[in-house]
Amino acid sequence: MSEDEENLPQSQPQPMAIAPQPLPLTQAQPQPMAIAPQPLPLTQAQPQPMAIAPQPLPLTQAQPQPMAIAPQPLPLTQAQPQPMAIAPQPLPLTQPQPQPMAIAPQPLPLTQAQPQPMAIAPQPLPLTQPQVQHVATEDIQMATAETPVTGQARMDTAWGSSEGDENISEMASIGQTDSGEIFKQNYEPWRGELNPRWMRNWAILRHHILGIFKKGHRPWGVPTRIFLVLVFFASLSDAALTLLSSLIGDAEFHSFWGVNRDNLYGHVLGFFPRNVMYYPIVAALLVGGVISEDRLHGTSALYFSRPINRFDYVGMKYASVAFIQAIIIIFTLFLYYLTEIMAFGRGWAWIVDTFPIFLGALLGGVLLIITYTSIGLALSSVSKGKFFPGIGLLAIILGTKTLAIIVKNLFDREILYLLSPYDCLAHVGQTLVNTQPTYDQYSWTWSLASLIVMNAIALYVLSSRVSSMEVTRE
Amino acid sequence: MADYAKPIESNFLSVLRKTTLNAQALKGRLCPHLIEGNCLEQERIIQTEDLSKFYGPHMALENLNLDIKKGATGLLGPNGAGKSTFLKTILGLIQATSGEGTVLGHDIRTEGAAIRARIGYMPEYDALNPDMDAINQVRYSGELLGMNPIVALQRAHASLQYVGLGEQRYREIKSFSTGMKQATKLACAIIHDPELIIADEPSNGLDSTAREFMIDTLINTVKQGDRSVLMASHLMDDVERVCDDIVLLHKGKLAAQGRIEDLKAIDREIEIHVWGGASKLEAAMIQRGMRVRREGRVMRIAHESEELTSEILLCASQVGAQIRRMHEYEASLEDLFLVIMENLGYDVKSSEDLFNHPIHARKVDAPGHMGGGAS
Repeated sequence: MSEDEENLPQSQPQPMAIAPQPLPLTQAQPQPMAIAPQPLPLTQAQPQPMAIAPQPLPLTQAQPQPMAIAPQPLPLTQAQPQPMAIAPQPLPLTQPQPQPMAIAPQPLPLTQAQPQPMAIAPQPLPLTQPQVQHVATEDIQMATAETPVTGQARMDTAWGSSEGDENISEMASIGQTDSGEIFKQNYEPWRGELNPRWMRNWAILRHHILGIFKKGHRPWGVPTRIFLVLVFFASLSDAALTLLSSLIGDAEFHSFWGVNRDNLYGHVLGFFPRNVMYYPIVAALLVGGVISEDRLHGTSALYFSRPINRFDYVGMKYASVAFIQAIIIIFTLFLYYLTEIMAFGRGWAWIVDTFPIFLGALLGGVLLIITYTSIGLALSSVSKGKFFPGIGLLAIILGTKTLAIIVKNLFDREILYLLSPYDCLAHVGQTLVNTQPTYDQYSWTWSLASLIVMNAIALYVLSSRVSSMEVTRE
Repeated sequence: MADYAKPIESNFLSVLRKTTLNAQALKGRLCPHLIEGNCLEQERIIQTEDLSKFYGPHMALENLNLDIKKGATGLLGPNGAGKSTFLKTILGLIQATSGEGTVLGHDIRTEGAAIRARIGYMPEYDALNPDMDAINQVRYSGELLGMNPIVALQRAHASLQYVGLGEQRYREIKSFSTGMKQATKLACAIIHDPELIIADEPSNGLDSTAREFMIDTLINTVKQGDRSVLMASHLMDDVERVCDDIVLLHKGKLAAQGRIEDLKAIDREIEIHVWGGASKLEAAMIQRGMRVRREGRVMRIAHESEELTSEILLCASQVGAQIRRMHEYEASLEDLFLVIMENLGYDVKSSEDLFNHPIHARKVDAPGHMGGGAS
């Protein structure tokens, strides 16, 4: 044994680039290999550097051996472990061979205690030759149900942190496999047929109306939903009191709440509380974001990149908002009328007498819904938020009314009522229901004309704004 | 430099010509009845002829003649080039001032709704309701196409699974990242399995992982799904990965159109790294008729003959220079875009003008006196 070899410590640590593993070598130094080590024709004191796909190197004793990818040949001694990177192969080592250190000059500045970096993906170090064969990458199998549960972590099993005496079966968990894929992208064609235009329009209508009642459709705000429910039941107050009057049999009570000309008018067009606290606020909450949020979120592109034209788009939005208002205003009017018939057992004669009044009130309600919706959607179409349209609608309805009252009280002139949507509706409604008019200074036809003008302006603004909505960014 | 630029110009223009001629030849080969309007449209998804669009006095598109085949096509152009106007025009959302065109066989002037029923449009910007969950948003987009609600819901599940949002489909969109929103928009676009997907900046604003996934998804849609994609993007790498062809617009006019490989072949060169005797080697190569650009020890020689590498090595051996590295240099799509936009852009009137326009230099890392753009 040479002198150099004699100076070697009995056990040298061998750090690696990845997951260094101190190797409790006994006799001498380990011999890490970079890639695909092959049988090394080791001679005395001759280090065998390995590159990628190394070949048997006919080295002589004093030949320097250039290294390609940092292989660090070390003289093998007895029972030397062979750190393997990829596809290690059995080393044809026979009985413990005395491996003297290389004789100078050696191009590799290896010292005895030098760390031995691994070139590529170091793997657990099989200690004996038979084990090395099992570790070959091709032979590694995935863990099965029969694989013993050792409690070792996966990384621990894969790279090892123990003394190197791992059970070879633990290697099973690092096998290469194409199973275990969580996501596999497959394009699934669809050969169905698209329904015609009415189905697309129904989708828009359904989306907005069902959004009031259930999740998954247009997300109306919770305050809006709560307020709609409250207003719906509040609008049924006259129906409930009619039913109550039938139960207690009080004629005076019934004359106060039962169906008559003034009460039918009041159910739809009464200023307080319905046209102060109910219907304008309902309209404001509904129209606020119907179009403006499409601008805000860019969802107009979702519509207009589909086979939906502008008329269908705005028409269905208009219809959906009007329908929800109709449930609150028209449907409750109908329930009120029906309650009177059912509770008091009204006959055909009564129905024939009162039905024109009911129709007048119903027509007044339709006019109210149309007017509020037109103005509200026009405001929504010029905005990018739901706050401004809502407040704007309330300001127009209640502000013009307040201004007209002030002017009337100060100057005894009612002409400004023509600027108030509510007063125009009330004036026309009084005519339709044939109740006592409260506007004396001008004809109801002026109010009707004013209503037509208001709606025309609102619809013009609405159509022009919607026609300018872009499928690309606005 | 003049001697150098001249042949490059001819090479550049010849390839452009060849590309367009190939398209013409393909048109004639596939569609012998094109003139009569009886052409089979399977291979040509978009075709325009003298398409122009004016907004008042402002010209947005001018005499656009395009012929886009099935597959993936990139729509390139700087801001204001007319990409959005072109998309809106072929979607039938705006009327062209003059000219005509077809998309999937439908007239863009009269059959806008039919076109939009057969294409899937993925807008560049947010087009989703943040308060809706993804599954219902995608389902609703299907219903807007006329799908039965139950079928739309089934397809929404499949589409979201395809774009990688299978596990997040019940989350509200406002909680989504940009990449997830983009994926949701793509799901909305493909819910009805359209023949053509128009993706407007699909990878805009995405991080590298989301971008990779989006690009892979588009590639998969084209290759596995056998669908066509018209992809407008400023990210040349993405276009290059997804698309086989490009259409390059500039100021409303067609600047270039053709296969990317053909266009990139304009700049095919051999790049060598020389050690010792570089000047002698350069002179020797020029003497042998090669077109050489040099930046220090790095030289690029126009790749015009199959024997070029042998000739280079022969020259090197004659002058005693060492060639330590030799490889083929191919311009990226971005290089190509810059060449066309910066060197031709502002004077381009049409593709014909492009053919006749001189090229003074190419934007490479060669010094200015050698034909490059570097100072």
